[in-house]
Amino acid sequence: MRELTYAQAINEALRQCMKEDERVILLGEDIGVYGGIFQVTAGLLNEFGPERVIDMPIAEAGFTGASVGAALTGMRPVVEIMFIDFTTVCMDMIINQMAKMHYMFGGRGKVPMVLRINIGAGRGAAAQHSQSFHALFMHIPGLYVAAPSTPYDAKGLMIEAIKNDNPVIFVEHKKLYVEKGPVPEEIYTIPFGEAEVKRKGSDITIVATHAMVIRSLRLAEEAAKEGIDLEIVDPRTLTPLDKVTILESVKKTGRLLVADEGHKTCGVAAEISAMVAEEGIFDLKAPVVRVCSPDTPVPFSPPLEQAYIPDVKDLLPAIKRMMEYA
Amino acid sequence: MATEVVVPMLGITVEKGTILEWMKKEGDPVEKGEIIFIVETEKVTTEVESPASGILAKVIVPAGVEVPVLTLVAVITEPGEELPAKYAALSTQVPPVEAEKVSQAEQVPTPMPHQVRPAEVAEAAPGGAIKVVPAARKLAQDKGLDLETVSGTGPGGIIVIRDVEAALKPGPELAAKVSTLAGRLAKKEGILLQGIEGTGVRGRIMRADVERVIEEATAPSLGKVIPMDSIRRVIARRMSESAFTAPHIYFFTDVWMDPLLNFRRDILPNFEEKFGLRLSINDLLIKAVALNILDFPLLNATFKGQEIYILPEVNMGLAVALPDGLIVPAIARADKIGLAEIIRQRADLVQRARSGKLSMDEIERGTFTISSLNQYDITYFTAILNPPQSGILTVGKTRDELTLVDGAVKEKRVTSFGLSVDHRIIDGTVAADFLQNLKWKLERPALTFLNL
Amino acid sequence: MMKIDKETLLKLFTTMLKIRYFEERIVDLYARGLVPGLAHLYIGEEAIASGVCAGLRDDDYITSTHRGHGHVIAKGADLKLMMAELFGKKTGYCKGKGGSMHIADMELGILGANGIAGAGLPIALGSGLSGKLRGTDQVTACFFGDDASNNGTFHESLNLASLYKLPVIFVCENNLYGISVGQEKQRLLQDIALRAANYDMPGVVVDGNDVLEVYNTTIKAVKRGRAGEGPSLIECKTYRWRGHHEGDPNQGRRYRTTEEIESWKKKDPIERLARKLIEDKFITKKKMDALKKRVLKDIEEAVAYANESEFPALEEMYEDVYV
Repeated sequence: MRELTYAQAINEALRQCMKEDERVILLGEDIGVYGGIFQVTAGLLNEFGPERVIDMPIAEAGFTGASVGAALTGMRPVVEIMFIDFTTVCMDMIINQMAKMHYMFGGRGKVPMVLRINIGAGRGAAAQHSQSFHALFMHIPGLYVAAPSTPYDAKGLMIEAIKNDNPVIFVEHKKLYVEKGPVPEEIYTIPFGEAEVKRKGSDITIVATHAMVIRSLRLAEEAAKEGIDLEIVDPRTLTPLDKVTILESVKKTGRLLVADEGHKTCGVAAEISAMVAEEGIFDLKAPVVRVCSPDTPVPFSPPLEQAYIPDVKDLLPAIKRMMEYA
Repeated sequence: MATEVVVPMLGITVEKGTILEWMKKEGDPVEKGEIIFIVETEKVTTEVESPASGILAKVIVPAGVEVPVLTLVAVITEPGEELPAKYAALSTQVPPVEAEKVSQAEQVPTPMPHQVRPAEVAEAAPGGAIKVVPAARKLAQDKGLDLETVSGTGPGGIIVIRDVEAALKPGPELAAKVSTLAGRLAKKEGILLQGIEGTGVRGRIMRADVERVIEEATAPSLGKVIPMDSIRRVIARRMSESAFTAPHIYFFTDVWMDPLLNFRRDILPNFEEKFGLRLSINDLLIKAVALNILDFPLLNATFKGQEIYILPEVNMGLAVALPDGLIVPAIARADKIGLAEIIRQRADLVQRARSGKLSMDEIERGTFTISSLNQYDITYFTAILNPPQSGILTVGKTRDELTLVDGAVKEKRVTSFGLSVDHRIIDGTVAADFLQNLKWKLERPALTFLNL
Repeated sequence: MMKIDKETLLKLFTTMLKIRYFEERIVDLYARGLVPGLAHLYIGEEAIASGVCAGLRDDDYITSTHRGHGHVIAKGADLKLMMAELFGKKTGYCKGKGGSMHIADMELGILGANGIAGAGLPIALGSGLSGKLRGTDQVTACFFGDDASNNGTFHESLNLASLYKLPVIFVCENNLYGISVGQEKQRLLQDIALRAANYDMPGVVVDGNDVLEVYNTTIKAVKRGRAGEGPSLIECKTYRWRGHHEGDPNQGRRYRTTEEIESWKKKDPIERLARKLIEDKFITKKKMDALKKRVLKDIEEAVAYANESEFPALEEMYEDVYV
């Protein structure tokens, strides 16, 4: 099968959906001429024209709100917010409008829009351009939150997000944009609420998101040398969360590590840990471990930033400690 | 001075690029700011400007090669300057391994403070709550395994799954006494092999025995049967608790045994004929002690919080020696029941003690204990209280002594009795009184057993 | 035009040189990976920061943008501390933890460069309000870009500043582009200064490449602010020579033409002032060359300082989250 990068896979999903459905429009800063700051929308302006690929001025609240209105009245917008950090500027439109209209209006009216954002530190972009607070959106009822880790998942989830009638926060990862993987050429969807076991194992369940999936797979090779067999579960969507797959895996291994790049406090990992403590406590042979970013803003200086990002250097000692409970 | 030409940083996601074309060749003059080569990345083609003016002295990476950003690709010298040796020595570079991947495979560094879990399981304090992981607790619960009998080998002494699994596995001696089919069935059904009475050759546990236990387990029964191993372990733990918490004081007296021995000898045949049971000295002892307790109820007491609680029943514990430990079942209401009943209970309890079939209640109900080494060549000995009891009586061997009666040397049989009491409840005079009176009762059996 | 004394002229010139040489050095350092992360360079726009800051007192405030090196240098920031910060060293302004877009120095009145477009406007309201409440006559110069004028914060801030007569000078650096979106695609009104009228405050358009015009206009706005007469908007038409950020391919030629870039380079603010200084005999060519050399030396010293400084220890990541 041919390989695409994560960015190209999303690009293809957008292109195929826009071809199929003229209600799909794109809004965002520098998505047209520039092709998007990470080139995810490259070539789309040329193909579909400025009425469907709309370059916006710096007015996040303005154009995010506009997408909500457009979605309410028949369109299927896909909005790009350049970095998750900038969603702060349009939080009202996301939390109070996009997420709640279907509910508040008693089902009259829906908001079939997709809000694309990206997370992840690692390029020295500093405190206001490197955050990963996607947990905020998992916390808000009414929003679906997708979190692909591979090009295959990215395309399938994006197409599903566009076709889905619910508002979707589509969380991409800066460092995954250049990663390659096999991607089918046809249109396909991945249903929301379906995790994937990216690696079968028997000793420890690692529930990981985004780049932590890739880092865990790398870790698995290291771990195998020490005789530790890791099972890696990728939830793929945070809302809805596939609790069944996670709990089944914990039942099998008895040990849970949750790896997510957000802050440790009140992050995605905290929610998953609490859920397992509530619904799978008797399967636990060891305390639950979370591997996350620290509770500090992202530091600029390169050695600090490298230490900040959760990686194999943090995962390996954690799993070794967990195996003391074997 | 020579200036290095690198593939510049090309934005925050670009990690490598391919030189598409060199706009200058080796030996050409270049101006600062002039386009020197074109590099292509995933995203786009970028023209790279020369960082200095001079001569393009050496091209290290030719067109068509993909390299990571910041790779040294050429060197510019000042006009007339000779190319420094370190650059001259370089041949066309092979793109280095991606720096990021290499560092990941290196040794495990110390985790950052935010990744270290706060205070993990502290050393379990003796007598503190047992620390055990949830899955292990559940398994132990399901299998009826008392966690007090399991030692934890996890971090900080926590009981982990392997500890419970090991505790549930039968030991080698037992394994030898189990048939293959029985073992398989037991494993499949999760049945504990310890404590199953084997009906095979020499007590071998057969499949039918396991089946029987499975059937019994589903039927309701009064009092749960607990495997011997765990019982012994509980007792061992309690013994040591008792030794270290109750202040023991010890008293000894020598009892002239002839009257009692003669008494028994005299009533033995009639007793046997009437009850079909064989009366032993121990039985008489049990009764005598029980009656003595009625006169000295403080010896039948225990602590209840801050108060001393005198137990309503006198359940006489009998220490039974087993090959690998002591077990103390108790005869219920020894003060009230007749000698025949005492015999029956005693025999039954001892037999079941030896075959590992006592219930926890039969052990826990004891209020006072008699421990006899009468069959051994032990003059006297001290015993540790059986918690939560406050008194224990020891019985030494019956020995022959000489005594002077009216100027004539006579032989007499004597046994040394010992009494240990909990000094928090019982003072020296009370203990002395009790023992003295017991001696008096034993030396006057006709009077003592008048109430039968 | 007001007459400007020699001292001020040389100061303006020196400041612009400092900014230009500093930023040019960053081009090279960034390409080599010594300055990590993001760099948004001010080359071509020097006249605005220099002209505005020369009209301020030391105790006046500025709020800056992601393209803030020029502003903070003009307000008096230490080149060594700036360079060290850009390198991510612990001796930098922010102990290495902020980077290019977050440089700040409260003592110099620099209320921070900022990574969020339009975020400086409400913050400037705050310093304006604070000075007014404390009864000082401090003013705040608030720098922002043309595309930021399309953001909600622009409208909220101008409305409040004029409503409360706050001593804020809104300086719009209109370099014709957001990142890639040209101004005709951002809004209909091409002159942002016209928007001031909606908030009943004066708005003027100036040639952002004429440092003297910027300076003189600022003096007037500062006077108005100190007198308690309220805010002003100064729109400086200018152009950035390089891309939006280092790494924006080919100096932003994905969305700009070479002709356009070249035409603006001809309006180089430093060349213009240099010509005037020499023609009007404020300085000889020889002295000018010596001045340039001195500034270059200062830059190199800053680079050396940054190179020799250490990175922060890993434990420092946890510091300063709270007071």
